[in-house]
Amino acid sequence: MTTLALKHINKTFGSGQNKVYALKDVSFETAPGDLTLILGPSGSGKSTLLTILGGLQTPTTGDMVVNNQNIKKLTQHQRETFRLNEIGFVLQSYNLVPYLTVSDQFTLVDHVKKQDNLDDADFEQVIKQLGIEKLLHQYPSELSGGQAQRVAIARALYANPSIILADEPTAALDSDRVIQVGQLLQSIAHQQNKSVVTVTHDIRLKEFADHIYELVDGELTQVK
Amino acid sequence: MFLAWHEMKYEKLRYGLIITVIGLIAFLIFIISSLALGLAHQNTAAIDSWHTKSTLMNKDANGNMGQSVMTESELAAQTQNKQTAVVGITPTNISKTHKSDHDAVQFIGINSDEYIAQNLKLSKGHQPKHQNEVIISDKLSQYKVNDKIRIGLDDTEYTVSGVTPDALYNMAPVVYGNLKNWSPIKGINPTFKASGLISKSSASLQTNDKRLKVYDRQSYLDNLPGYTAQKMTFIFMIVFLILISLIVVTIFLYILTIQKLPNLAVLRAQGIPNRYLVQNTFNETLLIMILAIGFGAVLTAVSAFFMPNSVPVYFDLPLMLGVAGGILGTGLLGSFIPMWVITKIDPVTVIGG
Repeated sequence: MTTLALKHINKTFGSGQNKVYALKDVSFETAPGDLTLILGPSGSGKSTLLTILGGLQTPTTGDMVVNNQNIKKLTQHQRETFRLNEIGFVLQSYNLVPYLTVSDQFTLVDHVKKQDNLDDADFEQVIKQLGIEKLLHQYPSELSGGQAQRVAIARALYANPSIILADEPTAALDSDRVIQVGQLLQSIAHQQNKSVVTVTHDIRLKEFADHIYELVDGELTQVK
Repeated sequence: MFLAWHEMKYEKLRYGLIITVIGLIAFLIFIISSLALGLAHQNTAAIDSWHTKSTLMNKDANGNMGQSVMTESELAAQTQNKQTAVVGITPTNISKTHKSDHDAVQFIGINSDEYIAQNLKLSKGHQPKHQNEVIISDKLSQYKVNDKIRIGLDDTEYTVSGVTPDALYNMAPVVYGNLKNWSPIKGINPTFKASGLISKSSASLQTNDKRLKVYDRQSYLDNLPGYTAQKMTFIFMIVFLILISLIVVTIFLYILTIQKLPNLAVLRAQGIPNRYLVQNTFNETLLIMILAIGFGAVLTAVSAFFMPNSVPVYFDLPLMLGVAGGILGTGLLGSFIPMWVITKIDPVTVIGG
């Protein structure tokens, strides 16, 4: 069973002599329970790939299918709904709304997505697993980097998406924290049966991944 | 309202300052509106108390009843009934007998058997029983019932028989007296008997006399000396203040939105609908404006309590609600640009970097 499939994706910017390929004939698939790592240096096209995976940009050519739905054919509004229901983003920075307590970050999701969010029991389990149960009444500014990252992951999981997209989740973390985040992403994939795609240049995460791809100059190659 | 309320609660100082600035503008608008109404009231209080619907006066007076004179024959040719009253109006001054201090007033001569005299409400004293008794405005607080006074160019000694509230005409307190005393007080030929006719009937006064002209209520008010200029000045001040409040609200909300763009882009990336974020900005503006207008209203109420009687402010609830509605409306209008900015947010900007 495939959760997400990219089929011969090309993304170009500019035209004529100025045409630049950000992604060249990229294809890959993920299944529920997979932790996929996409490694690549700066400028390799990682961000472009992530925005396409998240439905924020459309590929120039090729198709992206999520849970049997071709994302390319969706309207702007349908894409918003798709992101809300199917994608959990864990971003590098500005992950959390600064003026909402940790608890209210989840309430916000309830306001815009009325159904199919985690129920109380699952939510309790997630916040315990992430070790944030005592942080619920704190504001993001009162959290450490690692705590904020875990809250962001919980926030991404709260809407119960089938896919978690993580953008450099270990940026600015020390080695101990990198191991913790790696284990966490692995447990989300394996225990909660989500497709987790992590875009990073941090090779320390390699040991946790089920599949590893390298992205160089817009070309994706599977290495594991 | 969820995001708006939490943001304002978290950023108390920032939003408190914004609400204070807009509240002070609202306060200024309330005070100036009340002052405008107060000054208008000083022009028209007597006219309002007569329930004036139309007036008839000499054409050459250009709508200013104080300049109008009519002869007995001109008056006699006009249709008069229980809804009309003959008046003789003249700006003049009064003084207590044997005292040199004079006070500017509008003398208004009326007939005791016509509706204006019969409907006069007294706060003190009694209706005139003799020709030389007058009723004075309660604004002439230095004069009391039974005081002997002199009026204008007339050497006759008049007696104050009563005091009436709300008697102001063209910014001056009114002295109501017998119409027969009008021409000697004005110092004109006694062949002139009055300034004109006032009617409270919804059917306008009519005349065939080409030397006379009928004015409806608004034209009559607009021709009061200085009234239109004063009114327009205040209208311009109020309109400009409301426009300034619109600009201030727009700038504040725009800056706030620009500062929040990274957060909003993250929310967009996470699938929070555009409509929700736009609605949030609208709700935030609504909250800011309601709190600011409330703050302005409280300041106005406190100021009204301490304001000296000599300041001609007149607080009128419907006017206040109208002004508050105007400020609220322009404030909400000011949220359109930030809302447009939100619709243009590109969530791609928060990926990578």
